[in-house]
Amino acid sequence: MNDTTIPAKPLPKMTPGAEHYWQSATREQFVLPHCKACAKVFFYPRVWCPQCLGQELDWVHASGRGVVYSFSVVHQAPFPAYRGDVPYVLAVIELAEGPRMMANVLHCDPATVRVGMPVEVTFEDRGEMKIPQFQPAPFLRRTSRPWPQ
Amino acid sequence: MTGAVAIAAVSEMKPARYPDKDGHALYIEVVRQLLAEWHLKPGDIQGLLACPAGMAGGGSADIFVHEQLYEELGIHPLYGDTMNAGGATYGYMVQRAAVAIRQGLADSVLCIGAGKFPKVSTGGAELMARMVSHEAFEFPYGTFIPAIYAQVATRHMYEFGTTAEQFAEVAVSSREWALRNPQAATYGTEPLTVAKVRASRPIATPFHLYDCSIPLEGGAAILVANESVAKRIARQPAWLLGMGEYHSHRNIHQAADLKDIGCGRAGRMAYERAGLGPGDMQFAQIYDAFSVNPLVFMEELGLCPRGKGGAFFASGAARPGGNFPVNTYGGLLSFGHTGDASGLSMIVEGARQVMGVAGDRQLPRADIGVVHSYGGMMSEHSTLILGRQS
Ligand SMILES: [Zn+2]
Repeated sequence: MNDTTIPAKPLPKMTPGAEHYWQSATREQFVLPHCKACAKVFFYPRVWCPQCLGQELDWVHASGRGVVYSFSVVHQAPFPAYRGDVPYVLAVIELAEGPRMMANVLHCDPATVRVGMPVEVTFEDRGEMKIPQFQPAPFLRRTSRPWPQ
Repeated sequence: MTGAVAIAAVSEMKPARYPDKDGHALYIEVVRQLLAEWHLKPGDIQGLLACPAGMAGGGSADIFVHEQLYEELGIHPLYGDTMNAGGATYGYMVQRAAVAIRQGLADSVLCIGAGKFPKVSTGGAELMARMVSHEAFEFPYGTFIPAIYAQVATRHMYEFGTTAEQFAEVAVSSREWALRNPQAATYGTEPLTVAKVRASRPIATPFHLYDCSIPLEGGAAILVANESVAKRIARQPAWLLGMGEYHSHRNIHQAADLKDIGCGRAGRMAYERAGLGPGDMQFAQIYDAFSVNPLVFMEELGLCPRGKGGAFFASGAARPGGNFPVNTYGGLLSFGHTGDASGLSMIVEGARQVMGVAGDRQLPRADIGVVHSYGGMMSEHSTLILGRQS
């Protein structure tokens, strides 16, 4: 292949109950769904609460803070949109509010990412919308255990 | 409701690329080999469970494959279905077949699959990432199957101090077995070393190329039968002593705990139903899309202490001559991964060891063994316990 143009990265598919989440992200606000019946704050947004199946939901403004629960540094681009990004970090983030979500850890050397590392939300422009992403937090909280090398 | 059920016959194609055969042609080849190897007659097959070929292959999935097959075989099954649960499909087929046979719905059920692993370099990685990731909350982050499995590996490294070299030991051990299995894709190649694994192309930390299974094509078949049919077909059937099933999550970020991902829950059910424990097992065949799986699942299945999976593989215990052999056919890492059909390979080998027909790699002790397979991103699990005594 001698095609050097890199296609745009994929946009999230709009799924039921998630419209407000993506609209907020596009305004650079990070919100999480909250169940009025059982008070659960959960991820990912959907039309009911995964704990009690309650459908009376509202949204909380999340702190945007979390830690890296696990991650991998991707060296081989899975598809052409990522050809210019390798190596990049595919991570599971544990949010301060409890739920976990998938994201990339941006704005750092991938080799410096560790499990337990504090991160904060940032927003990546995908053209017609923005999506939540994470970056190392500007202060380093101590974790309960040292990071393995 | 009761009654002994066994795997009475197994057959598997050598994993390779078969450019002249589509999914259906692979199916026909699998059946042809099974009939020739075990001298089966149409009447020996009373039930038929098949898996759509073409899911991982990118072609249109044949969701009526069992209909086409029974018509071509000229049989009219009393029990039949096309079903799919990824790599757990065939563990679940054996489980469903056993329940049906114990209920008296059929004397025997053929469980069969064929598959073509898409070429990763030509769009296969994106196709599969779309298939196994949440389309809104995962795929837009550039998911890649090795990097999804790596989440479990990285977390295990953090929790227990497991090293990338210890994951590489799994690949080294599997290659040792494959070199004794003429049906393995890597038969006749060189042994692996930890250094070779670590020097191979980096894919997604901590995995290098040889930490990943080999994408190929193939298929296999397993005949599950009641006592009288099993004893007629096989000198030593592989009796199904216990089985367990657990469905944990769909998307990896939703797994409640990456070190309790469902494998152990299925395993405990299987041990309990068999009236046995991990200490009774003499070998394990564990689905290994990546080197991380056998290492972590040895722990989940109670076959080595929590956090000691790395030390177990580094000790050489899983290799030929070791005291607890694992993936004695080479695993998907060195035998080859046949896409939609991959979940058959470890069941076929578990049965062969118990039946005493494993050739040069036959274990001296194979009275009881455990076979574990899973589907999706370690999403749903099947554990089977096979033994020589019903
Ligand atoms: Zn609720």
